[in-house]
Amino acid sequence: MKPGKSVTGALGAAMLIGAALAPAHASEQRTKPILGIDSAALAKFGGAQGVHNWVESLFYYIMLDNRINWIFKEFGNVERQIALNTQLEQMVLGGNVEYQGASMAAAHADLNITMAQFNAVVEAAYNACERNNISYYACNQLINALAPFTDDIVTH
Amino acid sequence: MHNMMRRATRVCTGAALLATALSSTGAWASYDDGKVFLTGGVFTVDGAGGGGAVPWATITGYETRDGINGGVGFTYANLPALQLTVIGAAIGFFDRLELSYAQHDLSLNLSNLDTVALVGALTEDLGVDLGTDPWNSTLKMDVYGAKLRLFGDAVYTSDSWIPQVAIGGLWKENSSEDLLHTLGAAESEDWEAYAAFTKVFFRYSTLVNLVARYTSANQIGLVGFGSCDGLEEGCSNDKEVRFEASVAHLVAKNTAIGFEYQQHGDNLDGRSINVGGLNLTGLTELLDTLSVDGLSNALQQKKESDWWDIFFAYAPNKKISFVVAYLMLGNISVAPDQNGFYFSTHLTF
Repeated sequence: MKPGKSVTGALGAAMLIGAALAPAHASEQRTKPILGIDSAALAKFGGAQGVHNWVESLFYYIMLDNRINWIFKEFGNVERQIALNTQLEQMVLGGNVEYQGASMAAAHADLNITMAQFNAVVEAAYNACERNNISYYACNQLINALAPFTDDIVTH
Repeated sequence: MHNMMRRATRVCTGAALLATALSSTGAWASYDDGKVFLTGGVFTVDGAGGGGAVPWATITGYETRDGINGGVGFTYANLPALQLTVIGAAIGFFDRLELSYAQHDLSLNLSNLDTVALVGALTEDLGVDLGTDPWNSTLKMDVYGAKLRLFGDAVYTSDSWIPQVAIGGLWKENSSEDLLHTLGAAESEDWEAYAAFTKVFFRYSTLVNLVARYTSANQIGLVGFGSCDGLEEGCSNDKEVRFEASVAHLVAKNTAIGFEYQQHGDNLDGRSINVGGLNLTGLTELLDTLSVDGLSNALQQKKESDWWDIFFAYAPNKKISFVVAYLMLGNISVAPDQNGFYFSTHLTF
């Protein structure tokens, strides 16, 4: 791990938590995939509780992966990260949920995330789907919905 | 003996020092395997990253924009009239540039071509080399390739129709010149250029890939390029744009099924095999005495078919992938209805 990265990571974390706590309105919009999202996708994830379980599994696999776990640890307040992710994932899958966190661009601006780190989280996402018995096709609906954030998140 | 040992030790030390120097200069620091499963494609017969016959716009290997990756590939295809073996390697640099090499060995077991070979053996006294060998005619080809990603991201731009776009060039050197001239090709070496357009549609777990290739190849160059009316007479080698497509449906993150289509040309359609500029009347008389009937028909090349295949690809991890396919290659030279099996493996670092 590079010390420089840790410092910017910690700074980014501090900024994001500040941003996440400040606005009461949604600061990230639902994405618009060209082919849309399967309307049954949220149900296939098991609704709000299913998405929450999936996010917990996602963080479980992230924390097992030495390529990326340190980023999330330095970010801090994992419980809040899980809560915000649960809101975000429900929103992009078409759920009527308000996302209360910062925009993806603002949240990741100073984290210097690489494509390899981003893809490692995607791998964790698929592992979480498998662990939660969410089908590969349903899982791809979520990847489809989150993919447009790639450029906001990967800034390296 | 003692001297030899010392020399061997020196060579080993030198190699070790070189390896240390390489790793400490950062050449290996750029190693990267951060790409998502199968999204670099596997090993095409041209050596380029893609499917089996059709290249993709993705850059080979598991590297991202921050690193280097690559691998080696092996392919074996078994068709009634031929067996093709391809070995090669491809390296991807920073998900931007790809360099590749593939070596083809094609064994032909064509009874009609074997007849030509027999005739060839009989006519060798006349100083004619047909490049054939009774019961075993082999074509060899080297393919050097480069591919450059221009723009687009095949994987993550689900909110845009813009695909990943790459252009590529291939230089193909077929070293079986005599046999190619016997089969009526104008050139044994030539270049090809292509543009590839690739996009993953997560909504349907499917990758779609389109290619336009500018080429004059006969059977991807295995039967040379262009055509001649006679033996190295009236030759033409005009390139044209041909269309290729592949569709891969992912049934799991590491498993794909799909098909490929590759349009082929018509340079050699209906042409007879050139038997060294021999007077064909004399040849017929010669064959009559050998009681070989219908030879002129047997030596006429069929209409070159477009290639189709259906495949199954599996990558248990990022180090290795396997592809099995059923090839429907149609008419190849003087052999009709060539359907058969294909096996390929791609080992990535």
